[in-house]
Amino acid sequence: MGWAACLAALLLLPALAFAQPSPLVARLSTERVAITTAFVGESILVFGSTEEPLGPGGDEVIILARGPSGPFVVRRKVEVLGLWFNGPSARFENVPGFYAVAGTRPASLLLPEDVRQARGIGLATIPLNSTGARAPGFRRALASLKQSANLWQEDAQPIEIAGSRLFNLRLPLPSTVQPGSYRVEVMLVRARRVVATEQLGFIVERVGTAAEIERVARGQPVLYALICIILAALAGWLGSVLFRRN
Amino acid sequence: MSRSPHLQIYLPIAEMSVDALMLVGIGFVVGWLSGLFGVGGGFLLTPMLMLIGIPSTVAVASGANQTLGASVSGLIAQARRQNVDWQMGGVLVAGGLVGSVVGVQIFAMLRRAGQVDAAVAVFYVVVLGAVGTLMVMESVRAIFRRSRKQQVRLHTHSWAHGLPFKLRFRKSRLYISIIPPLMVGFVIGILSAIMGVGGGFMLVPAMIYILGMPTAVVIGTSLFQVVCVTASVTFLQAIQVGGVDIVLTLLLLLGGVAGAQFGAAMGGKLRGEETRALLGLLVLGVAGSLLWDLWRVPENLFSVGPGW
Repeated sequence: MGWAACLAALLLLPALAFAQPSPLVARLSTERVAITTAFVGESILVFGSTEEPLGPGGDEVIILARGPSGPFVVRRKVEVLGLWFNGPSARFENVPGFYAVAGTRPASLLLPEDVRQARGIGLATIPLNSTGARAPGFRRALASLKQSANLWQEDAQPIEIAGSRLFNLRLPLPSTVQPGSYRVEVMLVRARRVVATEQLGFIVERVGTAAEIERVARGQPVLYALICIILAALAGWLGSVLFRRN
Repeated sequence: MSRSPHLQIYLPIAEMSVDALMLVGIGFVVGWLSGLFGVGGGFLLTPMLMLIGIPSTVAVASGANQTLGASVSGLIAQARRQNVDWQMGGVLVAGGLVGSVVGVQIFAMLRRAGQVDAAVAVFYVVVLGAVGTLMVMESVRAIFRRSRKQQVRLHTHSWAHGLPFKLRFRKSRLYISIIPPLMVGFVIGILSAIMGVGGGFMLVPAMIYILGMPTAVVIGTSLFQVVCVTASVTFLQAIQVGGVDIVLTLLLLLGGVAGAQFGAAMGGKLRGEETRALLGLLVLGVAGSLLWDLWRVPENLFSVGPGW
C-alpha cells in the first residue's frame, strides 16, 4: 500500500512541478512512525523531483535527517586488578540521537567546507562539546558507536536517480530510534551552492500497548510497580495451575 | 521492509526489540533447571538476559519480578501442605525488606556512577563462586559420608544460640535469638536487589546450617521470604530506577512455569547429594563465565549511554 502511494506520488510529481514551477519538490513516504509492541525498525522513503536533470554535470541533491537531541555519556573501560571496569567518562550535551546524510554524490564533493559546516552537513559538523574526560578518543568512540548502531549514517547509500529528474532515498530507522520529531532537509545543489531546500518532518511515537506501558511506568510508577507485582504473581500461579492439570 | 522469520517483540522499558520465542525459551530452560533443583533460578536468568543484550538495570529488575511470579505457585503449594513457618518467615521478611531497601539504594548509586554492569558481575562472581564451592564441597562430603554409612547430627548448637532477643518458633521447634534470622534476611534482601535473584540457593543452606531449622519447613519458609522480598525489590526498582519490563517478565514466566513442571518431574528421579553437586557445578559455571567476561580484554573499550 505504501509502495503504491509512493509510486502514484512519484508519477504525479512532475505534473505538480510543471503546474507550479519549482526547482525542487520532495516528500516523505510517511509522516508518522509508530513504535508498537511489534516494532523492529522502519524505513522511510524520501523522494522527489527536480526541474533540471540530475547527475554529474547537472544538479545534485543532498538529504539530511536529524532526530531529537539529548545528552549522552561515553565511558571508557579501565583495568583494575585484572578486571575491566568503567573508568573515565565524557558527557556530551545536545547530541542528535539520529543523524543521516546522503547525496547523489558525497556532500564533500558537492559543497565547499564552509557551507557544509554552516548547514551541518556531515558527521564531522556535529558539535561535540563534552564535559569530563577530554581525550579525543571519546569523541571518536561516540561517533563510531552511533554509526555501528545505525543511528548515525553518512553516505550509507547514495540517493537513487530515476529518469534523470526523479530521486529517492530509503532512510532506515533502527528499532532503537528514540520517539520525537525528526527533521528532513532536502537540498538542491547547483554549481557548489544550495539553490533550493525543502523542509520536511516526521514524528516517531509510541502507540498502543507499548506506549501505554511506558506512559504508566514513567507517569505513575507506584501504580506500575503494583501492576507488575500482581501480574507476575497471577501469571506464575495461573501457569502452574494450567500445567498441573495436564 | 524486510520481515524477520522470528517473532520480534518491542520491550517498552528496555526500549529494544528482541525475539519473543527466545525469551520464552530462556524462561523454559531456567524454569526447567529451577524445577529440577528446587531453586528459583534467578541467578541463571539475570546473567542470561545480560548476555543477550538486555541492559543490566532491566535484567536485574525484571529478573526479580520473574522470580516473584515463579515462586508464587510453590509458596501456595507449600502453604497448603502447612510447610511454612510463618513466624520465622516474618522475621526473615522483616530483615529482607530492610535489606532490599538498602540494596536498591546501592544499585541506584552504582547506576549513577556508571558501574552497574561490572558491579552486578562482581557480585555474581563472588556470591556464586562462594556458594557454588560450598555446595560442591558439602555434597561431595555427603556422598562419601553416605558410602561410609555414618550418622550425622541433625542440628548443632552454634554461636547463633548464645545471642539475646530469644523467641520461640513453634513450627521450626526452635528457641533462638531473632538476630541471626534478621541478619540472614537482610543480606539476602541486599543480594536480591543487586543481583535480581530470589536468593533461595543461599537462603536454604543458611536456614539449615545457621538457624538450624528442620528441613521440612525450610523450602516453604524460604519461598515466603523470596516472594515478599522480590515483590519489594520489584516495587522499589520500578519506582526508583524504572527497570521493570512487564512484557519481558511475562514472556519469561510463560516459558518458566512450563519448564518448572518438566524439571520437577525429572528432579524426583535424582538423589539429593548428586542434585546438590550438579547445582553447585552449575552455579560455579555461571560464576566462571561472568569472571571470564570481566577478565578478558573487552572488544570495545568504550560504551555509550544516555546522560542521566
